Amino acid sequence: MQSSGNVTSQTRIARLKEVVIGRALLSDSFVLYLSVAYFVVLWVFLPRLGSARNLSNLSSNIWPLLVLVIGQMFVLIVGGIDLSQTSIMAITSVCGALMMTSGLDPELFAANPLWGVFIGEQGGPAGGSVAAAPVGIAFMLAIGTLIGSANGLAVARLKMPPFMVTLVSMFFFSGLAIFITRSENVRNLPDAFLAVGQNYLGRVPTARGPVGLVPYSFFAALALAVAAWFVLARTILGRWLYAVGMNRRAATVSGVPTDRVIVWAYAVSGFCAALGSVLYSSRLGAGRPTLGENVLLDIIGAAVIGGISLFGGKGKVRWAFYGVLFFVLLDSSLYMLNLKFYTVNIVKGVVILVAALLDVLRNRIRLGWAPTGRAVTA
Amino acid sequence: MSEPILQFEHVSKSFFGAMALTDITLAVRPGMVLGLVGENGAGKSTLMNILGGVIASDEGQIRLEGRLYSADSPAEATRAGIAFIHQELNLFSHLSILDNLFIDGFPRIGRTPLIHRREAVRRAKEALAAVNLSISPRTRVDRLTPGQKQLVEIAKALHGGAQIIIFDEPTTSLTSRETERLFALIERLRREGRTILYISHVLADVLRLADEIAVLRDGKVVRTGPRAEFDIDAMIAAMVGRQIDQLHPIRRGKPADKVLMSVAGVTEPGIVKDISFDLHEGEILGLFGLMGSGRTELGRILFGLDPFRSGTIDMCGQPRRRRTARRSIAAGMAFVTEDRREEGLLMEASVTENMALVALPNCRRNRVPGSLDRLTLRRSVDEMIASLKIKCVNPRTAAVKSLSGGNQQKTVIGKWLLGRPTVCILDEPTRGIDVGARYEVYSIINDLADRGNGLLCISSELEELVGICDSLLVMSKGRICGRFRRDEFDKERILAAAFEGHLERGPRGSSGASN
Amino acid sequence: MGSLRQGTLTAVLRNVPILMFAGTFVVFGLLAPRFLEYQSLENIAKQASYIGIIAVGETVVLLTAGIDLSVGSNMYVSAVAAGLLMERFAISPLPALLVCLTVGLLFGLFNAFAVTRLHIIPFVVTLATQFAGRGLGWMLSKSRAVTFPQSVTGLGAAELLGIPVPVVIFAVVVLLAWVVLTRTTLGRQIYAVGHGLEAARKAGVDTRRVQATAYIICGVLASLGGFVSVAQLGNVNSGFGQMVEFQAIAAAVLGGASLFGGIGNVFPGTVLGALLIQMVWAGLVATRTDLYLQPLIAAAIIFLAVLLDSVRNTVLARLGRHNIRVEE
Repeated sequence: MQSSGNVTSQTRIARLKEVVIGRALLSDSFVLYLSVAYFVVLWVFLPRLGSARNLSNLSSNIWPLLVLVIGQMFVLIVGGIDLSQTSIMAITSVCGALMMTSGLDPELFAANPLWGVFIGEQGGPAGGSVAAAPVGIAFMLAIGTLIGSANGLAVARLKMPPFMVTLVSMFFFSGLAIFITRSENVRNLPDAFLAVGQNYLGRVPTARGPVGLVPYSFFAALALAVAAWFVLARTILGRWLYAVGMNRRAATVSGVPTDRVIVWAYAVSGFCAALGSVLYSSRLGAGRPTLGENVLLDIIGAAVIGGISLFGGKGKVRWAFYGVLFFVLLDSSLYMLNLKFYTVNIVKGVVILVAALLDVLRNRIRLGWAPTGRAVTA
Repeated sequence: MSEPILQFEHVSKSFFGAMALTDITLAVRPGMVLGLVGENGAGKSTLMNILGGVIASDEGQIRLEGRLYSADSPAEATRAGIAFIHQELNLFSHLSILDNLFIDGFPRIGRTPLIHRREAVRRAKEALAAVNLSISPRTRVDRLTPGQKQLVEIAKALHGGAQIIIFDEPTTSLTSRETERLFALIERLRREGRTILYISHVLADVLRLADEIAVLRDGKVVRTGPRAEFDIDAMIAAMVGRQIDQLHPIRRGKPADKVLMSVAGVTEPGIVKDISFDLHEGEILGLFGLMGSGRTELGRILFGLDPFRSGTIDMCGQPRRRRTARRSIAAGMAFVTEDRREEGLLMEASVTENMALVALPNCRRNRVPGSLDRLTLRRSVDEMIASLKIKCVNPRTAAVKSLSGGNQQKTVIGKWLLGRPTVCILDEPTRGIDVGARYEVYSIINDLADRGNGLLCISSELEELVGICDSLLVMSKGRICGRFRRDEFDKERILAAAFEGHLERGPRGSSGASN
Repeated sequence: MGSLRQGTLTAVLRNVPILMFAGTFVVFGLLAPRFLEYQSLENIAKQASYIGIIAVGETVVLLTAGIDLSVGSNMYVSAVAAGLLMERFAISPLPALLVCLTVGLLFGLFNAFAVTRLHIIPFVVTLATQFAGRGLGWMLSKSRAVTFPQSVTGLGAAELLGIPVPVVIFAVVVLLAWVVLTRTTLGRQIYAVGHGLEAARKAGVDTRRVQATAYIICGVLASLGGFVSVAQLGNVNSGFGQMVEFQAIAAAVLGGASLFGGIGNVFPGTVLGALLIQMVWAGLVATRTDLYLQPLIAAAIIFLAVLLDSVRNTVLARLGRHNIRVEE
C-alpha cells in the first residue's frame, strides 16, 4: 500500500539519520567531521576558502602547531602539563640562530654577553660553514630535549607539581632568551635552514602565480606523527605512559619505571617544542627571543578540542591532528571573514568553551546520567 | 508488636538494564538491630544507598514512620533522621572535628554569618560525650585513629538527630578494642530506642549484634527472621543459594625443602625489627597481625617499595641489594597490594590493559626494539581470564571499575601471574569480596603452591589464614612473636601471641572477630 | 632519628613560607643595605598590594581545588571599562570603582556558571575566559591606552595614617578574607569542597553555591586589584594584566596553598607569598643586577621555594610513616 510504504521509508530515513548523527556525535572522529562540516558550510559563503593559495596557507600553519601539540600530548597523557613549550621555542630559536648565523650587526650585538666568546661579527661558531644548518638544527633539538628532561626530572624525582615547574621554566628560559640576545632578533641564517620553513615540494599554478603544494614542514610533522603513533600504540613505553597517567602508584607497584617514563614524556615535549621552533624560525627567517609568545593557548586549545584529557591517561595522535585542524581552520577562516583581531580572540575563547561543553555532553550521553542526576564530567 | 519504623515496599532498581534490586519488601521495627548480609552485588549497598538518599529507586516506595519517604540527597536523608556511616569515612582530614561536625551549618552569632565559636565547641563536646570520645574538638581529624574517626562520624549522625543509623562494613579498619567499643555503643543506642541497620561480611559479628537478620541474594530478599533461626552455615547457604561444605579448599600439598626466599634480620627503625624467616617451594606461609603490627609494611619492604636499614633478603640464594618494584619483579616476585583501587588497578583502563601491565617487558618483539608483541600478549591475557574465570562482558573494552570486587581482585592476581613469579606476596587477598569469589581465590592460591611457588599471605582474618596456610607467622609491634605450623594451629594461642607486648590481653572467645 | 631532631625538622618544614621569606629578606639585606631602607620596604609593600589582592582571590579559588586563569583579562576589561567611563562621561572615582567591580563580578559570575552548571573544568573555562576577555578589552579600548585622571592616581599615592592607600586596601581585603575563611560556615565549606567535592556534597554542603561564590570573590578581587594597580600606574595599555594570573598563583602557592585544594590560608600564607615575590624583584633592583638577568634570578628563587615546599611534603609524609598505629 502506498501510504504505509511511505511511512516506513520515512521512519527508516529518520532512524538512519538518528543513528548516523548519534554515532558521528559520539565517535572518536567527531572533531574531524566537525572540521569538514565547518569547512563546507563556510566555503559556501567564502569561495576563497577553497583556493589553492588559502589551502596552502592553512597547510603551512597546521604542521608546526601539530608538532607542538603532539609534544604537549605526551605530557598530558602522563597527567602533567608543559607550560614551558613556548619558552623552549624561544630559547632554541635564539641559540640555534646564534650558532648558525653568518653575520651579526655589532651595533646591536656588541653589548651581548656572548660577544667575543661564541659570537662575533662573522656570526656564530657554525656560521658560514657548509654544515651550518644541520648543526644548528641538531643543536636546537638537543637543547629542547635537555630542558624537557630537566622539567621531567623536577616533576618525577623532586616531586614538584608540573604546573609550577613548567611555569618557572617558562619564565626562566624566556628570560634567558632575551638575556642572550638583549632582545634582538638574529638574522643572516643559512639558506638551507630557511628552506625548511619556507620551501615547498611541488607547485600549483594559480591566477596570481604558482603556489607551493606540500611544505617541507609537512614531512617533519608526518615523521613525528608516525613515530609518536608507533610509540603510543605499539610499544611498551606507550603502555607505560598511559598507565602512569591513569594511576601513578599502581603503575610503580606493577613494575613500570615511573620516574623514567615521566622524564621521557617531558623530554619529548621539549624536543617537539624545539622542532616546532625549527619550523617557525625558519619560516620567519630569524632567531627570535619572543618566539611562541602567544601560542600556548593555541596548543592547549587544540588539545582540548581534540579530546585529549587534561587529567591524563587519554590521548591519541589523530585526536591531536583533528584538534589542530579545527583550530587552524577556525583561525584562518575568522581572519578571512575580516573580523578584527580582538573579535578573533573572543570567538576562539567561545569556541574552546563550546568544545569543552560538547565533550561534557558527549560523555553524559555515552555513560548515562549518574543516579543522582549529577553529570559525569570529562 | 510495635509498628515498623521503616518499611520497604516493592523497591526495585536497575542500572544500565541490569536489575540490582527486585521487589524488595522489608519491615524494620523501631529499636532493633537488623543485620543485612549478602554477597557482593547482592544489593545491600544499593538498598542502603536508596535509603540514604544517594540514589533513587525506580519502583516501589519506602515508608518512614508510616509516611511516604523519599530523599533526593544525603542531606535530605539526614534531615529525615537517617544517617549512613559508610565504610570509607566521610570526614575531611585536614579540618578539625569541630569543622566536620558543623560543616553543614555552624551556630552563628545572631544574624551575622560569623561562627559562634564557644557555642560550637560546647555543642561539639556534648556530641563527643555521647559516643564516649574525650578529645578536644579542635583536633584535626587526620590525627585520629580510624576508630576515633568512626566515632566522630557517629557523633555527627547522633548530633543530627538520627533515629535510624546504617553501618556499612564498620569494622574493617578497627582494632579489636575499637570494635568492642563500637559494639558497646551500638548496644547503648539500641537501648535508647534508635534503630540500627548493620551490613557486614563478618557473619559472626552479625550473629552477635542483630535482633533480626535479612539475607539478600541477586537483588532479592531470600530469607529473613530472628537471629535465633540463623547460624553461620545457614547464612552462607542463603547467601550463595547452595550448601558450601567448606569455605576453603582442602589443603593437600606440602612444602618442599628448597628455600625460595630467605629473610634474615630485616630491620627498619620504627617499623619492623629483626624479621627472619624462610619461604619454601610449595609453601603457603601466613602472616597474621593486628593493626599496627607492621605486617603490610613488611610486605612492602620485602617487595622493595620501601627501604630497610639492615638485614638481608635473598631470593633463590641471590642476595638482593638495590631494591625497587621493578627489580623484584625481575627476580620473580609478585605483590598483590592491600588496596586494589589505589595501587592495584588502573580503574579507567580495560581488563586486558590492566592484566598486561606486569608482563609487558616480557613481550617484546625481537625485530623492532621496544615494540610490543601484541598478539602473544592478547592470547596470554585471554587464557588467564579464562583460567581465573573472570566474568566481564568484553575484556578489551570493559573498564575494570565496572567489575565486581571479586573479579577486580582476580584481575589483579591474573596480572601478577602473567609475570610468572616464583614468590607471591598477597596482602589481604580477599578483602571486600564475597564468599563465592573468596573460595575461588583460595583455590588459585592452592594451585600456585602445588605448582611449586612460594606464597606469603598477609591477612587480618585469622579464620582465612588458619584455613589455607601451611605455617603461620604472627607479628606484633613490628616483630615476629609467634611461629606456628599447621598441626599446631590454635586460634587462641595465635591471638594471644598477636597481643603480646601490649598492656592488656585481647578479648577471649570473641567468636571470629579477629580484627 | 632522635625525637628532638625529628621535632625540629618537622617544625622547620611546616614553616617553609616564613623561613623563605626571612631568608630572602636577610640575603638581599646583606647584599644591598639600601634594600632595608624604609622607603624601599614601603615600595615593596605598595607594589605587592595589587598582586596580593588578586592572589587572595586566587587562593580562595585554589582552596576549592579550582583555578582562575582569567584574572589578568578581568583586570584589563574592568580597568578599561572604568577608565573609558571616566574619560567620556567624567564620572567620579567612586562610581568608576563600582563599575570596575561590577565588571569583575560579571567575569566571576560567568566563570562560576560555566564551572558549576556546565560542568567544564576550571582550567579550560578560565583559559577561554582569559582569551576572550582580552579580546573584549581590546575591542572596548580600540587598543589605545586609557588614561586615568588625577582623582584616581591621587589615591594611588595617598596615605592613610602614614600607610599607603594600596597597602591599606590590601590589608582590609586580607582581613575580610581571613574572617570569611576561618570564621564563617561558608569559609569552612570552601575548605571542605577543596578536600573532596563528593564528600562535601554528602555532608550536606551546597557545593555549587560554594564553588560559585569562590569564583565570584576571585572575580571581584581581580578587578579591585586592577583598580589599585591603575591608581598607581595612571594608565592602562593593551598589555595590562598579562601574566598576572601566573604571579597570583605563584604567590598563593608560595604561601602554602595546594594546587589540589583544601590546603592554604590567606594570612600569613598569601601575604607572605605576594611580598616574597615583590621582595625578590626589589632586591634584584637594589643589588643593581643586570636588567636582563632579573627574570632569571627571580625564576630561580621561586623554583627554590616550590622545591622546598615539595621536599617538605615528601619528608613530612615519610616521617609520618614511622608512627605506626599500635593496637590498644
